[in-house]
Amino acid sequence: MSQKPSSKISRRHFVEGTGAGLVAASVVPLKGQQPAAAAQTSGTTARPRTQIKFTINGVQRSMEVEDHWTLVELLRDHLNLTGTKIGCDRGECGACTVMLDGKSVYSCSQLAVWIDGKTVLTVEGLARNGKLDPLQQAFIDHDGPQCGFCTSGQLMSAKALVTHNPHPTRDEVRAGMTGNICRCSNYNHYVEAVLAATTRTATTGGGGNA
Amino acid sequence: MKTFSNVNPKSVPDAVKLLGQPGKSTAIVGGGSDLLGMVKERLVQPDVLVNLKAIPSLDKIEERGGQIHIGGLATLTSVSEHPAIRARYKALADAAGSVGTPQIRNAGTIAGNVCQRPWCWYFRNGFPCFKNGGKTCFSVVGENEFHAIFGGGPSFIVHPSDTAPALVALEAKFRIGGPSGERTVAAADFFASPSKDPARENILAHDEVLVEIQLPSASRNLRSAYHKELDRESWTHAIVSAAVALEMNRDVCKRASVVLGGVAPIPWRLPKVEAMLAGKRITAELAAQAGEASVEGARPLAKNGYKIPLTRTIVKRTIAAVASA
Amino acid sequence: MSTLNSVGHATPRIDAQLRVTGGATYTADVVLPGMLYARVLRNPHPHARIRKIDLSKAQALAGVKAILTHENCDIIWTSGDTRNKRYLFNNPVRFAGDAVAAVAATDRHIAEEACRLIDVDYETLPFVLEPEDALKDGAPEIQPGGNLSPNNQGKHEPDVQRRGNIEEGFKAADHVLEDHYETPHINNAQMEPRASMAHWEGDKLIVYASTQGIANCRSDIAKDMKLPQEKVEVICHYMGGGFGNKNQCHDFDLMAAELSKRAGAPVRLEFTRKEDFTAVHGRWPTSQYYKVGVRNDGTLTAIQMRGYSGMGPYRKGAGDISGMEVYQVPHSEKTSYMVYTNKSVSANFRAPAYPQGVFALESIMDDAAHALKMDPLEFRLKNFTRKFRDQQAYSSNGLEECLRKGAERFGWKERWRPAASDVGVVKRGAGMGMGMFPSSLGRSNAILRVDSKGDYHVHVGVTDCGTGAKTTMALIAAEALEAPLTKINVIWGDTDTCPYSVGESGSRTTVFTGQAVVEAAKDLKKQIAEKGLPKPGEFLRADAAPNPQLRDFARYSFTAHFAEIEVDTETGRIRVTKFVAAHDSGRVVNPLTAESQVKGGATTGIGMALHEQLLYDKRTGLPLTAGYYNARIMTHLDAPEIEVVWVETEDPYGPYGAKTLGEPTIIPAVAAVANAFFNATGKRVKDLPLTRDKVLGVLA
Repeated sequence: MSQKPSSKISRRHFVEGTGAGLVAASVVPLKGQQPAAAAQTSGTTARPRTQIKFTINGVQRSMEVEDHWTLVELLRDHLNLTGTKIGCDRGECGACTVMLDGKSVYSCSQLAVWIDGKTVLTVEGLARNGKLDPLQQAFIDHDGPQCGFCTSGQLMSAKALVTHNPHPTRDEVRAGMTGNICRCSNYNHYVEAVLAATTRTATTGGGGNA
Repeated sequence: MKTFSNVNPKSVPDAVKLLGQPGKSTAIVGGGSDLLGMVKERLVQPDVLVNLKAIPSLDKIEERGGQIHIGGLATLTSVSEHPAIRARYKALADAAGSVGTPQIRNAGTIAGNVCQRPWCWYFRNGFPCFKNGGKTCFSVVGENEFHAIFGGGPSFIVHPSDTAPALVALEAKFRIGGPSGERTVAAADFFASPSKDPARENILAHDEVLVEIQLPSASRNLRSAYHKELDRESWTHAIVSAAVALEMNRDVCKRASVVLGGVAPIPWRLPKVEAMLAGKRITAELAAQAGEASVEGARPLAKNGYKIPLTRTIVKRTIAAVASA
Repeated sequence: MSTLNSVGHATPRIDAQLRVTGGATYTADVVLPGMLYARVLRNPHPHARIRKIDLSKAQALAGVKAILTHENCDIIWTSGDTRNKRYLFNNPVRFAGDAVAAVAATDRHIAEEACRLIDVDYETLPFVLEPEDALKDGAPEIQPGGNLSPNNQGKHEPDVQRRGNIEEGFKAADHVLEDHYETPHINNAQMEPRASMAHWEGDKLIVYASTQGIANCRSDIAKDMKLPQEKVEVICHYMGGGFGNKNQCHDFDLMAAELSKRAGAPVRLEFTRKEDFTAVHGRWPTSQYYKVGVRNDGTLTAIQMRGYSGMGPYRKGAGDISGMEVYQVPHSEKTSYMVYTNKSVSANFRAPAYPQGVFALESIMDDAAHALKMDPLEFRLKNFTRKFRDQQAYSSNGLEECLRKGAERFGWKERWRPAASDVGVVKRGAGMGMGMFPSSLGRSNAILRVDSKGDYHVHVGVTDCGTGAKTTMALIAAEALEAPLTKINVIWGDTDTCPYSVGESGSRTTVFTGQAVVEAAKDLKKQIAEKGLPKPGEFLRADAAPNPQLRDFARYSFTAHFAEIEVDTETGRIRVTKFVAAHDSGRVVNPLTAESQVKGGATTGIGMALHEQLLYDKRTGLPLTAGYYNARIMTHLDAPEIEVVWVETEDPYGPYGAKTLGEPTIIPAVAAVANAFFNATGKRVKDLPLTRDKVLGVLA
């Protein structure tokens, strides 16, 4: 019967026991799960707020935001732009990707208050005058979305990529979109779609991507 | 997420003053990628975020007198794409371009990357370890496949930064703003061993700001590279990385810097390997010997012994690649 | 195979535009006036008794509208455990992540804060993480009656399946191989986190669920909330994946419903990603002991397997370890222990019992071929199943063609060489695996209506969790009605407007519900022929509720996967350089979306082989790798190109001969990669995933 192979190289300098004393399992209060201080109060009135101005999908807005709102929270809960999704809320999945001043960012990892004076583009702003962006059409033709939950983020990463690099290679597409997980794992089709959209742009001499 | 206020300082002294406010829990924020995640997990619970993005010009990259001055708020994307950095300090461009994902590099800053907290799963999951204010390191007899083989104890985290080993190898200087003005330290002196204070990774006081990173004027013969080995093809931290800078005179190495990432609580410099290379022609045999020497003194835990052969290989290959570039 | 007009033609999804414009409404996108936000407080211990819960501080927080705990809520979540009573909130709590309380408040931040203000006094209890440890004397008892979960007869005994006489089988063998394999808990990790929105209109409960099956979700909610079915409406128009962990109803649906009832307002409950990894379920981890007998000529004589599945503390899933039937063998024995542990709950994840079983099975079969100096492809061509369990004929069997056509496309002859043939630092290797998945027949419904303009309205209770089910149903309807796709309007995703459908689990929708569409279409065509199109404002309607059963045949889909990988023996890095997936799923209804299924399933399997696991700290019993970063879910740069080979067998059953597809796609992928690693290096990693410490460990 096989031993766990890892033991072969690892036991040589095993330093178990050289660390500080260990607490018993039964008394491990995880940080963040400890009860809050009794005196702590919270109500919406006590929350700091800031007035900001920004451009969202081509429209200028001015509004008051709570300082602790994330950008994705502003988009989804307060601007009704629910095309941007929350997959992990930790910058680990890419479903919330938007373009901020022309670059892709995780909107879960930005505060709303930080977009003061900036320009945001979300999936809702990709189509122009009712005409789909070539990337959107290519996503349809190549069956990019399966469940579709990562799709908005994939599109925004693709859009940011082709904005800076209108004719990416296959490897450049994969590297440019690697910040977007698809658990249906339709990566092949997403890459094909971006390549098709950018090739088409090249042959028709322009389009929405430049 | 916890309630807090975001304040926008006008200048570095202003930021320093805000950070030092008595009676308030304050946190410095650059790109925000790392800090917001920790606030959401309640690993830090600030009342005030001091937003460095508000300070004008802190994100500039400038060449002055042969040196390159990188503002602490310069994004990793701008560092990795900067023509002069790519041409003369390739290890730094490589390192900045290897961080996370495009989205993280577009938001993340160089100062934030250098000061990033560890990604040890015990720390990030809120275990009461040294980094969370506790009195133990759970990795020692726990799940330690990503932990330190050098310089560990009492905490065995590995420093998570990709740019830090490159900056140490390139002998960068860090300009720090604080309550009593500014100070400048060598990159190598910025990082702090856990044997001094296992709760921290560097010498910054709570009310100090990493304002600028200065790259010394590079000899035309300086060649460098950064190699990052990941256990997924993207988006994770280095399991082992190496920053190598060689000042070459034709095929003879005049001076060498070799600094490892992913293996120690600080960027791990290899002076013995550097001495082996200095004054020699870099051959395949010498690179292999350097690889062998790079793991002297390594003390693996139960599950990270693989980092020894891996380090050996990465050092060997990166030296050979830089020498033949 | 005959060519059809609609079925079999690559067709973009009929709802694709909404999916690329942000217009598709998922559960957490639904906003109702006056709605509250809910969050759940989780137990931070692997096993503990709750002594006391103090809600006073949480209740005093402005904006808190309702709090549920085990003290004030005794709702049983029936589908959360098929053996024991599993409440929404249990005491004792049995894994890190078990729900302790749920709070509804006027916004998400208050709900989160209120959870932190709940003081819980825990008495921690001893815990056990591994199934074999849990069966030892003195192990902490997780459920009354012991840690061996009752089998289908209700006895605390393992499930045993025997055919022939296993000892005779070993006696007849020239070689007997034995080995042990382990596979970890892996999370489904679908992109859409759990969410449920519930509200009451009088005594009617309306739940916007994120479910793979609205009909089953409704009947489960009705049962657990003690309501008549017609008093529950479940709506799910778009959902962001599930891969088996959004079948039936879930605790979050019931929590949202109860919170909404108590607070008198709509409630949207959302889980965090970490909760999704720890508090819902993932693929069951296994420990498998195999013994295989084989003759010198490569003929199998016996397969014996003893397996342990870690179910977590609740028996939500079957826990079986499957795959053995893919081999023709006269003597077989399978003994399965489904065991309670204090890890996260395990249940369905894409082909629930198969990839982990087939990884182990195909590893030992590969070793058998190696021991006999046989080409692994020849070994499988010799031993693949001809009859189900050597007894029952298949309705169709394209396995041999999958093996042959897949190998040809892959270039098996050129790429496969005896193990460890490469002498360089970077070694190439080729591996393969084969598998099968049931494609049963069964009950589902469809309602078709035609209006005066000749537009057809197809009512089917599908949710379309990403499979393309809506488009598949439209194509089948278009085919059966001899109408263009543009005349087909699909009504889906709402129990008030759609009849029962089996749900998108078991890869059954195309076969079950598709058959109902075919039969309803037949009826409607007849009606139109008799009566002509209806007057404006009127409809002709056909209902179908077929419940076809197989009698003399076993019906399965078959697959063979082929992988070539490169192993850098100095760094342990593995790259998949070629991958071919051959599938017999009968007739392919929509080749475009079917290819997506295969590529996605195979890629997920590669991730299972290379990276993924929910790792636990052994001393504290707490999970360390919950989330996309630490679980190392596949990314764009990890995903190789998958080449798909279709073997379209003629099958007399199912709509136009379609068989199951979604789940078989993951089954042999894991084994193909693991076997390619053996072929490249001559070494075998027997516990997944193939992380650097294991790879460099076996190569050292």
